[in-house]
Amino acid sequence: MDSSRERLSKTAKKVHFELSAILRFALLAVADIGLIWFITQLMINGFFEVAVVLIIIVIFNTYVFLAPKAYPLRWMAVGLSALLLFAIFPIIYTSYVAFTNYGDGHLLTKVQALDQIQRELYLPEEGRAFEWIAYRSEDGEYLLWIKDAAGNTNLARQTDADEEDHILEVIPGENGIGELDEAGAPVAIEGFTRLNRILATTDTNLTRIKFGDPEKTIQVRSPSEAAELLPRYLYNEDEDTFTDQVTGIVYFERQGTYTSQQGRTLTPGFRAGVGFENFENFLTNPALRGPLAIILTWNFAFAFLSVFLTFALGLAISILYGDPNFPGKKILRSLLIIPYTIPSLITILIWRGILNENIGIVNTVLRDLINFSPNWTTNQWWAKAAVLIVNLWLGYPYFMLVTSGALQSIPSDIYEAAEVDGARGWNKFWNITLPLLLVAVGPLLIASFIYNFNNFNLIYVFIQGGPPIPGASTRAGYTDILISYVYNLAFEGGRGVNYGFASAISIVIFIFIALMALAQFKFTNMWEEVSENV
Amino acid sequence: MSELTKKTKKPRSMTQQRRLGIIIRWVIAVFLIFFSVFPLLWIISASLNPTGTLATARLIPQNPGFKNFQDLVGNPTFPFFRWFWNSVKITTITTILTLSLTTMAAYAFSRFRFAGRTTMLKAILLIQVFPNLLSIVALFLILTQFGNIIPSLGLNTHLGLIIVYLGGAMGMNIWLMKGYMDTIPRDIDESAHVDGASDWQIFWRLILPLLRPILVVIGILSFIGTYGDFIVARTLLKTTELYTIMVGLQIYTSGMFSQKWGIFAAGALISALPIMVIYLVLQDQIVGGLTQGAVKG
Amino acid sequence: MKKRFLLLAIIMIASLLLGACGPKETPVAPPVEEPVVEEPIVEEPVVEEPVVEEPAPPATTPDATLRIWADDTRSAILAPLAAAFLAEYNVEVIIEEVANIRDQFIIAAPAGEGPDITIVPHDQAGQLVASGLLAPIDLGAKAGDFVDVAVGAFTFDGQLYGMPYATENLAFFYNTDLVDAAPETWDELVVKGIELQDADLVDWGFVLSGTTYDAFPLMTSQGAYIFGRDAEGNWLPNDVGIGGEGMIAAGDLMREWINVGFMSTNTDWDTAHSLFETGEVPWLMAGPWALDRIRAAGVPYAIADFPDGGAPFLGVQGFIVNALSENQLLAQAFLTEFVATPEIMYELYEAGNRPPAYIPALELVTDEDMAAFGSAGVNAMPMPALAEMGSVWQAWGDAFSLIIQGELSPADALSNAQNQILELIGGALAGMVNVPGSWQAAAGCPADWAPDCEVTALTEVDGLYVGTFTIPAGSYEAKVALDGSWAVNYGVDGIADGDNYTFELAEDGEVTFTYDPATNILTIDVP
Repeated sequence: MDSSRERLSKTAKKVHFELSAILRFALLAVADIGLIWFITQLMINGFFEVAVVLIIIVIFNTYVFLAPKAYPLRWMAVGLSALLLFAIFPIIYTSYVAFTNYGDGHLLTKVQALDQIQRELYLPEEGRAFEWIAYRSEDGEYLLWIKDAAGNTNLARQTDADEEDHILEVIPGENGIGELDEAGAPVAIEGFTRLNRILATTDTNLTRIKFGDPEKTIQVRSPSEAAELLPRYLYNEDEDTFTDQVTGIVYFERQGTYTSQQGRTLTPGFRAGVGFENFENFLTNPALRGPLAIILTWNFAFAFLSVFLTFALGLAISILYGDPNFPGKKILRSLLIIPYTIPSLITILIWRGILNENIGIVNTVLRDLINFSPNWTTNQWWAKAAVLIVNLWLGYPYFMLVTSGALQSIPSDIYEAAEVDGARGWNKFWNITLPLLLVAVGPLLIASFIYNFNNFNLIYVFIQGGPPIPGASTRAGYTDILISYVYNLAFEGGRGVNYGFASAISIVIFIFIALMALAQFKFTNMWEEVSENV
Repeated sequence: MSELTKKTKKPRSMTQQRRLGIIIRWVIAVFLIFFSVFPLLWIISASLNPTGTLATARLIPQNPGFKNFQDLVGNPTFPFFRWFWNSVKITTITTILTLSLTTMAAYAFSRFRFAGRTTMLKAILLIQVFPNLLSIVALFLILTQFGNIIPSLGLNTHLGLIIVYLGGAMGMNIWLMKGYMDTIPRDIDESAHVDGASDWQIFWRLILPLLRPILVVIGILSFIGTYGDFIVARTLLKTTELYTIMVGLQIYTSGMFSQKWGIFAAGALISALPIMVIYLVLQDQIVGGLTQGAVKG
Repeated sequence: MKKRFLLLAIIMIASLLLGACGPKETPVAPPVEEPVVEEPIVEEPVVEEPVVEEPAPPATTPDATLRIWADDTRSAILAPLAAAFLAEYNVEVIIEEVANIRDQFIIAAPAGEGPDITIVPHDQAGQLVASGLLAPIDLGAKAGDFVDVAVGAFTFDGQLYGMPYATENLAFFYNTDLVDAAPETWDELVVKGIELQDADLVDWGFVLSGTTYDAFPLMTSQGAYIFGRDAEGNWLPNDVGIGGEGMIAAGDLMREWINVGFMSTNTDWDTAHSLFETGEVPWLMAGPWALDRIRAAGVPYAIADFPDGGAPFLGVQGFIVNALSENQLLAQAFLTEFVATPEIMYELYEAGNRPPAYIPALELVTDEDMAAFGSAGVNAMPMPALAEMGSVWQAWGDAFSLIIQGELSPADALSNAQNQILELIGGALAGMVNVPGSWQAAAGCPADWAPDCEVTALTEVDGLYVGTFTIPAGSYEAKVALDGSWAVNYGVDGIADGDNYTFELAEDGEVTFTYDPATNILTIDVP
């Protein structure tokens, strides 16, 4: 390059740099303004949790795109933002839920629960119930025609209407009342439209409006009935208590449930913080006194063998059939990918059928051939073998894909050099292929190990953890893994679905597997060094 | 071409050995194919079985027929092809976006040294393995709130679903991509830097073309992952017209004791087609040997 | 290039095949490419789009919108209603097909995104009511048109929370080629079955298609139960019958049958049904959901009551209204006026093969099988709508698996299961007997009326629970609470949820509480 050209290109680069910087600032400004508007809207609507996450995202992105130090992060700013919002926020949310009683009986927020309890009405002994027909005026005022059990009819004005009489006689001609129908209800009232039943029920205001005299208000409570209803429970905001208007019993708030001293409770309860209770419950749970050692041993064995088998088979396939000159390789590899293309929901069930002890094809054939049929579901060892076979089938295409891609990264001159040094077959594989492959694939093996460690679906759909362990102090099966074992307790045990408890379990298990994963990372560091020497 | 000429020069015994190797490998392949395809035969059988059960001893059902397929595509309330299209659309968009985010992030992880780099990489792995059974509830919450402000980004929209899927873009595939990039010698970029190329130019012009095999692999992995998801999609999508194929098919399995496995199997077979086709078309890109020369650099 | 052709060919063949399969009269769903080409992804405002295509969009906007979640069979029946409802009342009805309705409902409803109406079985409704997600339903003039037991199943605390539409229970199927009449007793069944086995006409004399629900009638005929009930029919969650004599008797019976080769040890659902359909077992306890496959198999069958008066579980399907819906009244009106008609209820019956819970529709049913199901279910026990039921299934099923596989004796397996269940229900404080009351803080508890305070827990002495505490002078109230919570508590005279006990101390002193678990009565000895 001559010097003038160099100078030219330098100027061009400078211009380009400034242009790109301006573009960057402009884009950042637009994005920030948009997000800030969005955040304000969220705040206005009262959605603070999500707003906070977005604020973090705005600050993070602004910093990353302005500070030169954070330059590498610009390459992943969008990905990290999405990660924060859709992967990390749910984890934080789970952690938060672990400290609440969120679950069956406590699904609503306090505001929702208070509203529901306050809307609970009752019909006092002397109260009357009516048939009703509603009339609505143009400006949204209502009249209610009522007919009691004795057949007396009246018209009721809204209690908050600025009139002296809230209950009117139904006399045609007076107060704009028109002709009466067979039931005695006005066909029309001047200024009002008579609503047919369905039309009336589409009016979401109607149930909340009180009609008639203030001391004896009438409310619509169902499509067929209006009655002189009173609120059942009176809320005392200062003390956060409800008083039953019929019995006088006072209900105090206790961990998200209004509970009386007699142990009676009001439904619904609401989500409330319970401190470390979920964790305490888990750590003192009878489950942990159960056959935990058996379950953990199998869990490790299952995860390790699953990874080992799927990786080995996947790698074997991609080495054996990765040769571009191998005849029929395309159709072959397409056939071998099949397990990965069909939803596992159905394939696991198909495997259940295939391995059915009595009528499954495998046992039918084996019985005919060698007069022996394994008890795939009732013998613990055969059941474990079955789980591993199915998992191998489900999992090897993943490693076949991954390894066939990763193998391409191994430069062929390394092989050539090794061949010159006399390396052959297995030697080449152990000394070159495998170590180099593990650079890219090693972390995936860890992830796969952890995935299988928590492979709830397979265990649950295929065999429900069975066969049962005889005499276990808590319900457990020989193929149960930690997560299927404890989630069963959280979801199917106790008193219904308990998200709080399940979250606490998630966190404890996560800490456990995180430590495991970090220990395994020692190896990946080694792999990375290897790679940098290449 | 050079390889070919080399081979012809080799002694005869080598060719024979090679032929033997191919035969042995095909024998192994037959077993493998049997293992992999065998359950598929059962799914085909289930899809042709009008009574719609999964566990049958017979491979050929009593009155085989296409009734399940007819029910699947001929149901006026369940627009099967619409679901199919929705899935293809959502999955393709998600895959392309995921792929670009993954590749760029992996480039930074592979080529730059910055504070928190290894921590972030480890965090990415740990985040993926959090036993996150409640994430559905949290995602539902986020999209409900988004939808209140921007309806096209909320629940029951494909856009909302896609952005939720992007949360998984920074996943394990970054490790795979980074590992692959690490094996591309850094002298390539360094010499380009000396020539005055910017990072972006290096990434776009030099590195990206070398990544083709792994891009295809990750693309397929991401496609399959998104395509097969029904847990997130079924919570976020509620209008039948908007369903993805997996959410739609799942309806057939929902009735206690009245699961329509036959229809489900038929749907599963059809839904597997795009992935098979994609793999069939793209597999040459993975192992075509196209890039091997280039990597030597 | 070849590749492209192959791809194209595959797609074409696939679409041709599929297109050709569609019934001719209904329009085939649009081909893959057609509809979406220009559709910008960003705009998907389909929420407001009417799902039903038939009527042209009305000129005016609808007055209201009702959203319904249903599964595939039911949505097909409800869909035509939507058009009629829109035409007649200008109310739009959107029907959404949802799998796992309950799981989705508890996420969506509290967020205000739930449907107005959906369908659940009654045993799931109990938990939804406790969570405040269901609105009470008034059937109005049609209240008397529903089967009593079905209404009862959806009634919680005296309040109706659902409109039942179908009941389901197992019945006793027998092969009319092999036997002339259904056996009246299990003994008779064994005699007949062994005859058939000896004559080599069947492989097995008896099979079970499951270890819990599907085997329940056999268990009940031996006197087994799951949860006890009080005089008013309310469930008693702490009275678990899994380890009871009836269950053990049922287990012994099964063991005996297995030992003599009369009953198969395989309890797989599909296997059992296949055996019956191929005539390898003369009878089967099966539900209405099996009718289609049994009919399709062509095996000659008849349906009868269970031997020895065995009672199956009863499940009731019903429509429920979301308590957080703005349109509760409308939803109720839709259900009572539009769905509760003989025509719709009959259609629902035809799609699901379950006897209708709506009497006018039930009267239209002429199918003998349905009548037989009704007869077999006369004494059916509604599935307990208790959260505690969740703790029972697996332990119960495991126990019978172990019995059937011969790993444990029935007594051991079931008493172990009983303990597992009680521990699950009780949680960490299972077995605690406490005397919460206004005296607890004085005795060292963090608060009064705390059923989980360990300081005041009673200890077991010879089958009674006893505790002595020093309390300052004053007048107090107290109650008995089990397992550290209020869920099970007893008041004066041992009445569940009864009135408080009261006691007075003239001066500081030791008070002794004695609780008798047999009578649930607490005695308080004041100095």
